[in-house]
Amino acid sequence: MNASQASAAIFGFPRLTHYQRERLTFLALIAPNFILFGVFTFWPLIYNFYLSFNKWNMITPTPTWIGLDNYATMIQDPIFWKVLGNTLYLASGSIAIRLVLALALALVLNQKLAGRDVYRAIIFSPTFTTGAAVALVWTWILHKNLGLLRLPLDLLGIASPNWLTDVNWTIPALIIVTIWRGLGYDMVIFLAGLQSIPAELYEAARVDGAGRWSLFRHITLPMLSPISFFLIVTSIIGALQVFDIVAVMTGGGPMNSSKVYVYYVYENAFKFFKVGYAAALSMALFVITLGITIFQTRLSRRWVHY
Amino acid sequence: MNKLIGTMLVLLVLLGALAGCAAPEPTKAPPPPAATQVPATSVPAATKPPATAAPAPTTAPVASAPVKIVYWRALSGAPGDAQEEIAKRFNASQKEVQVEVQFQGTYPELQRKLQAALAARTTPDVVMFDSPQMPYFAKNGALAPLDDFAKGADSVDLKNYIPGLLADGYFDGKLYALPFARSTPILYFNRDLFKEVGLPDRAPETWDEFLEFSKKLVKKEGAETKRVGYAVQMGTTTAHWYFQELLYAYGNDVSDDKFKVLIDQPEGVAAAKFLQDMIFVHGAAIPGTGPDGAQGEFTNQRSGMHFGSTGSLVNIISTSKFQVGVGFMPAAKRRQVPIGGSVLAVLSASPKEKQAAAWKFIKYMTNTESNVYFVQKTGYMPISTSAVNSPEMKEFLAKNPAFKIAVEQLQFVRPQASIIAVPEATEIFRQLVEKLTVGKIDPATAMKEASAALTKAYNETFK
Repeated sequence: MNASQASAAIFGFPRLTHYQRERLTFLALIAPNFILFGVFTFWPLIYNFYLSFNKWNMITPTPTWIGLDNYATMIQDPIFWKVLGNTLYLASGSIAIRLVLALALALVLNQKLAGRDVYRAIIFSPTFTTGAAVALVWTWILHKNLGLLRLPLDLLGIASPNWLTDVNWTIPALIIVTIWRGLGYDMVIFLAGLQSIPAELYEAARVDGAGRWSLFRHITLPMLSPISFFLIVTSIIGALQVFDIVAVMTGGGPMNSSKVYVYYVYENAFKFFKVGYAAALSMALFVITLGITIFQTRLSRRWVHY
Repeated sequence: MNKLIGTMLVLLVLLGALAGCAAPEPTKAPPPPAATQVPATSVPAATKPPATAAPAPTTAPVASAPVKIVYWRALSGAPGDAQEEIAKRFNASQKEVQVEVQFQGTYPELQRKLQAALAARTTPDVVMFDSPQMPYFAKNGALAPLDDFAKGADSVDLKNYIPGLLADGYFDGKLYALPFARSTPILYFNRDLFKEVGLPDRAPETWDEFLEFSKKLVKKEGAETKRVGYAVQMGTTTAHWYFQELLYAYGNDVSDDKFKVLIDQPEGVAAAKFLQDMIFVHGAAIPGTGPDGAQGEFTNQRSGMHFGSTGSLVNIISTSKFQVGVGFMPAAKRRQVPIGGSVLAVLSASPKEKQAAAWKFIKYMTNTESNVYFVQKTGYMPISTSAVNSPEMKEFLAKNPAFKIAVEQLQFVRPQASIIAVPEATEIFRQLVEKLTVGKIDPATAMKEASAALTKAYNETFK
């Protein structure tokens, strides 16, 4: 108190009330982040919202206001519905499998196994590999005749599908790649969650005669629920924004079978020069993502225990 | 204690802010002396010729200072290095203009950056365009017409450029670009395989012969096809190019100069049916998806013939473990080959004197000496008659027979169809090729749908 008053006196500040000082502190603390968010997140969002009511190719000096036309076009655009469907298919197809596999791996690698750090590192490695590189390697793995994936399928006596050429197999191919790529990250988060569960809980339950399944069902799962919730929300958001692997592996083809939402946004903005329409598509994705997340949060009250 | 820390933080931030406010002052203060000193030394020079409309009086004497321009280039590797070298020679050759070359990635990357630069109004002076992209920028006023420069003090003999290559520098009757790194599709074939299956050691002349050759190249093991004659190009940036050649050969013009789409006319449908039948009736071709696309199938000997850019010549020959033969693109009713590659254009946002400097630069980039150098270093096409006839080029062609065929094919080149300039067109063509080769959709229907989509895209974004 004294010190602060003294320093205020030295620097010639007017005496501030307690409330004012708190406010100033608050502002000073959030300022660096807030400015960055403002410039790189909020402003683009607002400007994008504005652009969605315009027709613009970014070449002519100014956008032309066209009101809600872009949104009307969107509703009538069959490719919009197609890419939305593709994206939801990709998201729903990958997330459940990914989380279950990641949890299983985390449980295994939470045991005291020889060389478990090595396994952890290997499984985590796809996370820090560039998407484009991952995609390029997978185009080889998925090649019908030359691909690595053909070996296990041949052993099982299954003819390898034309992963990237057959319109029915492109999304499953992308699901496989997304799972492989996201597994390591999910596993590490689950591992962190597992290690934060207090050992006393298990000890107490064991004293009460709980078996392994009961321990998992009544302690591990509920205690992991906040982590699971976090992973579900972030992986849905991530899956709705898949771009790089599609850009490299299929370019959205054949016949739009693997065109995902963000790729379509990119195409409209930078290949078709329909910047306004791309902005409207982005707004729609924003609303969809927000909607799903709010729904998830509501739902989470029933199953997440903090 | 908390309050103390809080207050200290506030003070820190405020001090920072004060420092931030104070910072400009010292920098503002020094310039006056500097500004007064510089003119002081150059006052005689600056005051003597007062009428020479100096746009930036503070930046030293204008009369002798070179005009600085910025050139955005695409293409990496040998074609990139060659551009840098030509620009260096240009800078050394004269004192009026100094060009700074800035690499911007691939053609699409450069185009995206140019889009952003135009929106931010900080454009370069000269850019390289994948040729079909140029008209859209010209139409939207981003490019400067070059006709006056071509006739002016720094005139150039436009007739010297190969007509088919110069033609797509025009939009709406005005010249907007000069040809630079041009390429054409040519036919590559696997000479070893041709020998193995008893085919003559030459490329097929016509599309019908192409089909016959393809059938002979097919190899099956049980139900599995191990090898075909041809893998169709499916890429977002390639499918339209090779498909146009087939349409041209069949006598279809794809679109007219008023952007009327013609692909659904009988010749177009016949061409589409031919391609589809090659796959589904004759089993002699496959869609070339997968890693490295159609070229990968060819170099892995899973297809015996391949259409590729002349720009890939060196690459294909060096990655193939077999003897590569080269021939003209097949003909049908006629032989016409769509030209590809890039052109050089000048931005309209640059002030007049920079535009004039930019013109000097692109004139130099496309002159005989630069072009001969560029061709020898990269394998792109010569762009002018004088370059083709130069002794260095003749010597080069004598040493590279495969490349000679590509140059001989230049007599058949024509620009890509007008409709390709519509931004969505290449994607529509790609999907059309997919419908024909993967989706097995009736050719008449597919061509009609694509035609409607192209017309719609034209009306929405180009009209």
